[in-house]
Amino acid sequence: MAYLFQIDCVRYACSCGSLKSIAKIYFCRHCLSIRCGYCVCHEVDSYYCSNCLENPPASEVRLKKYKCSNCFDCPCCFETLSIRSGQVLVKSLHTTQEESKPVTKKIYYLSCTLCRWSSRDAGIPDQTVATGSWREQESPNTYRITALINFYKILGSIEKQQKERKKFQSKRIFLQFEKFGITSTMARKRVGQLPLLQSNTQSDQPQPSEASEEIEELSQDIFTKSIDITKITTLDQRLQHPELQVENINELRPQRKQFIVKRSQRCRFCEHTVSKPDYCPTSTKFKIQLAAFYHVPELRIVACEPLRLGYSSELLLKFCNPTQHQTQIILLSMDTPMMPTTTTLQGIKEEINRENVQMGCDSPNLLPSAVRQAIVVEEGRQVNIVINAEVILPSSSFILPPRDDAAEYDDPSDSQNSQDDPKLVVWRKGNKAIIRLDVIPYVDKDKMVKDEPIVVGLAMQYGYINTIATLEHKAPQKLDLKVKLFLTLGNLVHNIL
Amino acid sequence: MSDLMSPSSRRFNIKIGSGALVCEEAILKGDITIGSHTVVHPRASIIAEAGPIIIGEGNIIEEMSTIINRISPDDTGTPVQIIGNYNVFEVDSTCEASKVGDNNVLECKAYVSKQVELTNGCVIGASCSLRDEEVVPENTIIYGSQCHRREMNDKPYPQLGQLEYLMKMLLGYHHIYKPNMPPPKTESST
Repeated sequence: MAYLFQIDCVRYACSCGSLKSIAKIYFCRHCLSIRCGYCVCHEVDSYYCSNCLENPPASEVRLKKYKCSNCFDCPCCFETLSIRSGQVLVKSLHTTQEESKPVTKKIYYLSCTLCRWSSRDAGIPDQTVATGSWREQESPNTYRITALINFYKILGSIEKQQKERKKFQSKRIFLQFEKFGITSTMARKRVGQLPLLQSNTQSDQPQPSEASEEIEELSQDIFTKSIDITKITTLDQRLQHPELQVENINELRPQRKQFIVKRSQRCRFCEHTVSKPDYCPTSTKFKIQLAAFYHVPELRIVACEPLRLGYSSELLLKFCNPTQHQTQIILLSMDTPMMPTTTTLQGIKEEINRENVQMGCDSPNLLPSAVRQAIVVEEGRQVNIVINAEVILPSSSFILPPRDDAAEYDDPSDSQNSQDDPKLVVWRKGNKAIIRLDVIPYVDKDKMVKDEPIVVGLAMQYGYINTIATLEHKAPQKLDLKVKLFLTLGNLVHNIL
Repeated sequence: MSDLMSPSSRRFNIKIGSGALVCEEAILKGDITIGSHTVVHPRASIIAEAGPIIIGEGNIIEEMSTIINRISPDDTGTPVQIIGNYNVFEVDSTCEASKVGDNNVLECKAYVSKQVELTNGCVIGASCSLRDEEVVPENTIIYGSQCHRREMNDKPYPQLGQLEYLMKMLLGYHHIYKPNMPPPKTESST
């Protein structure tokens, strides 16, 4: 998801230890923790062509070598080629009765709208059918590659056969040498002798490739001839088609467009899906989208006074509550434990473990366990970011009202929350509030790297209502979750001496 | 310069060939000659600051595009900006080139500075800019954010269909300047 402004100014610490902006992280409602692209399982849902939106089934995609059969990429600038039509006068070949009349015939050629490359430029003849007739460029090694693939397929099947045979014969211990084609008496004779040469060398084994020492001589004028850069392909153009790597621009041929995938993402800890797109390639919607943007309060930097070493500067932060529930926000120091807590009816704080989080069903992964990707859970990494300023944390908390889409059109009513600490909360409207904090860059000069931007860290505790429980007719669980935030505030103002 | 703004003197300095279509909303300043069958859209600006601008036949000068003969300190005498035939200046392109040949296309937001000379059949891609002194060889295409160059085998086709269409459409919706130059017989002598 794209994020307007402040691309990387405010970063949230993911449970795996990477730092990302809120637009790039997910919130797993089942483990109540933040997940990012690095710590979820990526699963390919479907393949489709970004140009014609064709989505063939996965088996067909493999046959097509993950490339669209109708769409082409420009070999020059890698944009999608468009099919242009033109008309050409063709003298009909039927010279039977009347004098042959010139007939207009529709012809098609490929052209790029960005760099104006066209199939006519490359000398590819125009086609009479719009799609399907474009010949694909043959790789010079096709024969060799298919030979190798076939050979390895045979090897694979032999290995499979052997495995199956082993399965059956493992019970018949007394015929242990049978599988080698000899009886036990023959085996006894052979003990101590040289092993038999394997006689069944595959006749269809492809020729092993040989390295040759001779290389083509360079032409005499290689160093003296001036080069016309516009006629030589660039490195990018060559690497786009690694099997050919043509040298001259006019040898470039259109290449089939590669399919792109729709993928769903799954939490590695609880195996619940955090993001699942609509199957249809024309749709940009999601079936499941547990983006943190919808669950975790969003923080933006509104303004920051010029930063000076050892002096406090005012920092204005805007908090926004995206959920349908009121939430209380407490700012804490970085070293508070990150475990989610809940307050019981008796008013006692209680830590929540994974076991007593109210979850839905255990494992929602419907795939059979054989197909399922083995889930690797990595330990969270240490966040290694240098914090070079101190935030003076407020002693009081503040409350963010629930999001109300209609409220944006109402007149602002200031009286909605009068118990705010006027020193802390500067502004408030709907589900948003701006608070004021003080920031002091550390005086410790040894730690300071020159021209490094000032980074402050703080932990935000926010109230979260676990609504999954309501599905099971339980009262929604109120939780206090915490997330670590890193704010990049910009460079120090150079001291006026 | 201020008297150039008054309608009478403006009309006096602008020569429009027969069959050319120049909208009144176009911004024209200075000594400008526009050849026959050239279309100048409304809000296009042609500004002859340093010297006269001579535009050939069948050009399309689209909205917000600028053709300007800019004053530069190292000019000697009055430089003339000459633009050939069947060029297309797309929306918001800027052309300061002293000499433009035939069949060139300046795509949207393209920029060509004064020191550049465009020959024939060149395409300056969208948002590409040419700022250094050079003569762009024929049929060069400049494209992409890195301003890659490529040579095309044939020049872009003249936009005859587009010209014909614009002649019909613009005439119906805009006030235009009347051509004030004698028919092409004598025009070729200019």
